[in-house]
Amino acid sequence: MLNRFYLSLLLISGIVLGAFLLFVGYREISPEWKQYQVEYKNNLIKNAKDDATRERAKEVAIEIRQIYLGKLKRVDRCTTCHLGIENPLMVDADQPFSSHSGDYLKNHPLDKFGCTTCHHGQGRALTKKEAHGLGHKTHWDDPIIPTKYIQSSCAQCHDYKTLEQKGVNNIVKGRNLFQEKGCRGCHKLNKVGGDLGKPLDGIGSQPIAYFPMKHVTGEKTIYSWIKQHFDDPRKIVPESQMRAFLTEEEADLITTYILTLRAEEPPREYRRFMHMPEVKTDGESLYKKYCIACHATGKISVYDEILKRTIPAIKNPAFLKAADDNFLRNVIKEGRTGTQMTAWKISAAGLSDAEINKIINYLSIDRPEEKPERFGFADFTGNVERGKKLYEIRCTFCHGKDGKGGEGLLGINLINPVVQSADPEFLAITVRDGRAGTPMAAFGKKNGLGLEDQDIADLITYVKTLSQKKENLSNDYKD
Amino acid sequence: MNERYRSGVSEFIDNIKNLQRSFLASFLRSGKPTSDKSRAALMFNNFFLHIQGVKTHINTLRPTYTFGLGIISFFLLIIVVVSGVMLMVYYNPSIERAYNTIKDINYVVFAGRLLRNVHKWAGEGMIIFVMLHMTRVFFTGSYAKGREFNWIIGIILLILTFGLNLSGYMLPWDQLAYWALVIVANIIQSPKEITDSLGITQYFDIGGFSKQLFLGGYTAGQESLTRVYFLHIMFFPLFLFIFLGVHFWRIRKDGGLTKPENLEQVGGDTGYASRPEKTGGVFPTFKTYGLMELARGKTPAVDKDIENTVPSWPNLLLAEFAVFILTLAAVIVYSFFVDAPLREPANPLIPENPAKAPWYFLGLQELLSYSAFMGGVGLPGIALLGLALIPYLDREKGHVGIWFSNRQGVIEAVKALFVGALVNVGLLAFVVNFGWFRNWWPNIPQLLITLVNPGNIWVGFMIAWSLWVMRKGSTRMGAIAMFTMFLVSFLIFTYMGTYLRGPNWDFFWSKSQWPVH
Repeated sequence: MLNRFYLSLLLISGIVLGAFLLFVGYREISPEWKQYQVEYKNNLIKNAKDDATRERAKEVAIEIRQIYLGKLKRVDRCTTCHLGIENPLMVDADQPFSSHSGDYLKNHPLDKFGCTTCHHGQGRALTKKEAHGLGHKTHWDDPIIPTKYIQSSCAQCHDYKTLEQKGVNNIVKGRNLFQEKGCRGCHKLNKVGGDLGKPLDGIGSQPIAYFPMKHVTGEKTIYSWIKQHFDDPRKIVPESQMRAFLTEEEADLITTYILTLRAEEPPREYRRFMHMPEVKTDGESLYKKYCIACHATGKISVYDEILKRTIPAIKNPAFLKAADDNFLRNVIKEGRTGTQMTAWKISAAGLSDAEINKIINYLSIDRPEEKPERFGFADFTGNVERGKKLYEIRCTFCHGKDGKGGEGLLGINLINPVVQSADPEFLAITVRDGRAGTPMAAFGKKNGLGLEDQDIADLITYVKTLSQKKENLSNDYKD
Repeated sequence: MNERYRSGVSEFIDNIKNLQRSFLASFLRSGKPTSDKSRAALMFNNFFLHIQGVKTHINTLRPTYTFGLGIISFFLLIIVVVSGVMLMVYYNPSIERAYNTIKDINYVVFAGRLLRNVHKWAGEGMIIFVMLHMTRVFFTGSYAKGREFNWIIGIILLILTFGLNLSGYMLPWDQLAYWALVIVANIIQSPKEITDSLGITQYFDIGGFSKQLFLGGYTAGQESLTRVYFLHIMFFPLFLFIFLGVHFWRIRKDGGLTKPENLEQVGGDTGYASRPEKTGGVFPTFKTYGLMELARGKTPAVDKDIENTVPSWPNLLLAEFAVFILTLAAVIVYSFFVDAPLREPANPLIPENPAKAPWYFLGLQELLSYSAFMGGVGLPGIALLGLALIPYLDREKGHVGIWFSNRQGVIEAVKALFVGALVNVGLLAFVVNFGWFRNWWPNIPQLLITLVNPGNIWVGFMIAWSLWVMRKGSTRMGAIAMFTMFLVSFLIFTYMGTYLRGPNWDFFWSKSQWPVH
């Protein structure tokens, strides 16, 4: 008598519902972690040496284990699967049952430090995939960190001197590389450094969304990004100007260091900074810290394909012969507009006058004793019109018609403030004697391309007018 | 004699023996449902069942008339409420802990992940089924004959359903939640566009005020989460249940669901019917009854009526129970396979690009991209007002209870479907390819764009089209054309916002074409 349609609807729906409730029940009572726990328990029972141990093994409860770390604002459930972590008998066991390597747990008890404090990953999660937090679909910004970078966690609480004494070397080497490869020539850290690249503060704990992961191979994690970016910056960020010349091993070491640059600090009671950080402040160290990435040894000047520009050889005696300390100080402090050279004064890239002086002292070690022959620019009266004609014949090939230099041209930009505000005497000497180690030839009469001193004076007078002229002629140049 | 001296103890023992029967009798208040009379008594003696009539018209039981859409929405609500109460036990509405409590629900609570999925999908299912229910009510013309106001209550319930879903979307305090909150705050702020254009924002900043009222400050934070939580578990549900009660009560007072004037029994119908007993039923056909209460519809005393009704017990209740189990099964199966999304923790420093509202608001967000005021307030206001006014502007009663009223109605609906889709897609294609006023004349006053933008043009076209249809036929035909176009554009705009808009709200054929990040 009841309607067949509704009866069959009820029947079919009821069967489907019942079946899925069973599936749900099964899924809930047999989660991934429970299988590990059963396996571990069985192993314990099987490997028990005596009856007492066996009895104790049989009483091991199958349950979620968690370490609550109130001060660290963490809940770590890792030991739900990593059951043998404190069991010395499990040294040779496979993961997830293996005991912790070394004696780290002696000084870092689990109930105080948990697991994710050092290893990262998602402490709350209870499946392997989500607990390790790898892969885009886990939506977890702090995935588990591989052993080769694990030393980055030590630096959260320990100073580098202690780490070095204890033989935690990777992180120390990484830091040294960071200091010596001139990273801060382009990257700010603690407000000091150039601004071509992104500031590095907190980069180790930044969300993955900050990193363009499209070209990263393997796991899309921050450490993969950093490592692969060191291997080939332009593969990861096509428009990058980053200069990184590192071996595979060095890239890993420096990645370890970069990962220590985290925004958040552990609470005070966790930190063990016994020694003040050793900061080398001699000229050579400062040069390595801030300059070496672009200027390298500073002995020869080369055209750089990445920066699209000739990098001057600033430790070259010929350069130093013409460039006195004041000129160097001016360039370092103000930078060179229109080039990648940063202004390093304290209000810009953040170097103090004392530090800049130390760098200048280091640069000028090889400055030749003899001063260049005096030119005596003040004695001449420059003729702009003549200078212009000479410029068009002699200089446009390298410096361009408008003196801006530019892509494909060997010469530097003459309109930049350093040239325009430089002492004409210095410019005249440069033109006369050339700049050894750069494409700039000597144009003087004695050993050069035959310009009279008067010609050079005219030329310099004209070059000095270039910036004004440009302003009058067009608005293209707005630097 | 015996009885007089019967001891209390034996009486007590007898009472224990009869406990089951006496308890059931007191619980059910009527005997076993063996006759029409006791079946009827079962219905009207039960608090939960008495909202339904003791007799049900067979048209109500025809699956192809209602498709069970309204009752499915109601059952989804029941599922949502039960699962929601369970989630409330674990959830903590603080910005530090909300995200972690959701994680714990997912990882630690027994069947917590399923519970959360069920809550999420049943809630979003409500949006779909409430809209489908509205569609059914509209196309069967069931808003006429005293049901006008109930249609408006239905619209209110639709709004409350949107509100409930939206506020729930924000509670996990992950990236999705946070940026949806920001977008909604901006939608709320959208009247600012008009006050800015008129230059009166500094005196009368209704948009800014509403935004602050919603967020509990200038930016999204703990205060906002507290407010959203209050809206989600208190404000919206309270009003939803009040209006739902009125909605049901009015259906009952209007004589149950609508039905065609001249219902012809077809072969399949006999299946629903346990034929009423010709004698001894509640309303024997040989007698005439007057109703004790005032209710619309005909007295069930006339032969004809009683022939097309069947006892609600068990016919209606079986149908309802079957649909309930179907709904529950569907929700659980879907939830078993598809997890509710949970992204990274909320981070105000990382704007999602594009920051999208939940899918049911993406049509609105698309309109918002043309003009903040029209997309956020103007057009949804017009749409809701238009929907609410339908029963008052179309007062034809001839075709109640018949899908699309008549053959002409089918033709008008199909015509509106194709013309609407074509014009809507054409309009969007034009906007995507050629831009709009701001792209052509960058300095154009915003007020002009507020007044003339693709959204307004579309609404204008819908009105014009339905007026034109009305000129030829009836108001009902115009309403059918209008409503069809409304549905079509709702789908198209939502599809556009969901699948075809990428970073910076630019057009992309698929997500794989999005630039890096």
